[in-house]
Amino acid sequence: METPILRIENVSKRYGKKDVLKGASLDVNKGDLKILIGPSGAGKSTLLQCINFLVKPDEGRIWLEGREIHYAQKRDLYAYRQKVGMIFQDFNLFDHLSALENVKIGMVKVRGMAHEQAQERAVMELERVGLKEHLHKYPAQLSGGQKQRVSIARALAMDPKVMLLDEPTSALDPELIGEVLAVIRDLGLAGMTMIMATHQIGFASSLACEIIFMEDGRIVETGTPEKIFYRAECARTREFCSKITELYGETR
Amino acid sequence: MPESLIAIWDALPYLLQGSGVTLVVICGSMTLGLLLGVPLAVGQVYGHPWLRRLIGIYVWFFRGIPLLVFLFLFYFGLCTALDINLSAFSVAIIVLGLISSAYQSQIFRGAILSLPEGQFKAARALGMSDFKAIAFIILPQALRLSIPGWSNEYSILLKDSAVTYALGVAEIMARTHFVATRTYQQLPLYLTAGVIFLILTWIGTRSLRLLEEKVRIPGYSAH
Repeated sequence: METPILRIENVSKRYGKKDVLKGASLDVNKGDLKILIGPSGAGKSTLLQCINFLVKPDEGRIWLEGREIHYAQKRDLYAYRQKVGMIFQDFNLFDHLSALENVKIGMVKVRGMAHEQAQERAVMELERVGLKEHLHKYPAQLSGGQKQRVSIARALAMDPKVMLLDEPTSALDPELIGEVLAVIRDLGLAGMTMIMATHQIGFASSLACEIIFMEDGRIVETGTPEKIFYRAECARTREFCSKITELYGETR
Repeated sequence: MPESLIAIWDALPYLLQGSGVTLVVICGSMTLGLLLGVPLAVGQVYGHPWLRRLIGIYVWFFRGIPLLVFLFLFYFGLCTALDINLSAFSVAIIVLGLISSAYQSQIFRGAILSLPEGQFKAARALGMSDFKAIAFIILPQALRLSIPGWSNEYSILLKDSAVTYALGVAEIMARTHFVATRTYQQLPLYLTAGVIFLILTWIGTRSLRLLEEKVRIPGYSAH
C-alpha cells in the first residue's frame, strides 16, 4: 500500500466547553482531491486550519510524506506550512502589495529566493491563473474572482505538496465562481493534492475522488461522490445532500 | 506701532533660531516615540498577557502625569539623584519622546487592530514567522493608517514643547519670554510667537498630509 502524502489522525479541538472537532482522521494520497461537505459549524474550516496548525489542535497527530510534524518546534512548523498551501474564503490578500508582489513576497521572505527569480516565477504563476493583464493591480482594484486567483498563484509559488481550500468560492458573486473553479479543476488535473471544503456539489461530484461528510465536529461518512450523493448509508448525509442539491443544482 | 514692529523685526532672527531648537526637539521626540511606540503597540496586540499588562501600565504612567511634572522629575529629580549630567535640551527630548511613545503606541495599536485579521493568518500560512508577518505585512499597512493620528500627535508635541521653557531650553517660548521682559513689547512678541507656532503646525500637518497621499495604497478611495 502506498504511504499517504498527508496523514491526519484523531485531530480534536475544543473552544472552552465546545468540542468543534472530535477526533477527525484522514489519509490523503498524492493527487487526491478530497471534498469536505457539511452544514456550517460542522468543523470543516477548523479541520482545515488544524491541518496547517493555524488553529492548534488539542489532540491528534499529522504526518506529511511520512514525517510527523511537531508544531511546537517553530522551524519544523514554518517549513511544513510552506509545503501546505492554504486558500481562504475571503482571499486574505495583502492589501498593500500588488498582485505580483503578493505572489513574490513568500518566495523572497520565506524561501529566500532572489528578487529576479521570484519575479519570474510570480509572473509565471499569475499567467497560469489567467491574470497576465493584472500583474500590477492592487487587491482593491481586482474583482473577487481575480483576488481568489491571485491567492491561488500566491500559494502555488511556494511549491506546495498539498493545498487546503476553505470554501474558495463562497464569497464570490455567482458569475465569478466559474473562473475560480476552472483554475482549481486545472490544478487537480495537473496532479495537485487537495482538500477542499465547498458547497459546489456539481464540481465535487465530477472531480472529487472522495467526498467527506462532516457534522457536529465528526466525519460522519466518506465515499465516492456517486455513493455519498446517491447511496449514502447515513440518513443525515442523505438529507444534507438532497438539501444542497436543491439549493445549488444537480450534481452533474 | 512702529516701535512694536521694530521690536518684532529685531527679535525675529533670534526667535527663528528658537524655532530651529523647537523643531529639533519635536523631531527627536517624535522619532523616539515612534521607535518605542511601534514595539509597544506590537507587544500590546500580540504579546503574552503579562506583557500586555506591563505595557498597559507604561502607557497609563506616561499618559497620566502632566508633562511639567515629568520634566522636573527627570531634570531636577532623577538627574540629580543619579548624578547624571544631561542638558535640559536632552531631557526635553527624552521626556517628550517617552510621553509621545505612550500616545503613539495607542495610535499604532488602533491601526493594527483595524486591519483584517485574515492577512496575518495568510502570512503565517505561507510559512512566515509571527515576526516576519508583523514586519512585512502588518506594519507597512498599520503605519500608513497611522499617519492621520500622527499628524495629531505632531501638533500636540509642538505645543507641548513650549513647556520645556521651564527647564531653560532655548526654544521659541523661552526666547520670546526673554525678549519680551527686556523690551516690554509683550503683545507683539507673544503674538509673533503664536504665529510662528501656527506656521510650524501648518507645515507639519501639511507635510504629513502629502506623505499620506504619497503612500496611499492604490484602489483605496481618497476621503
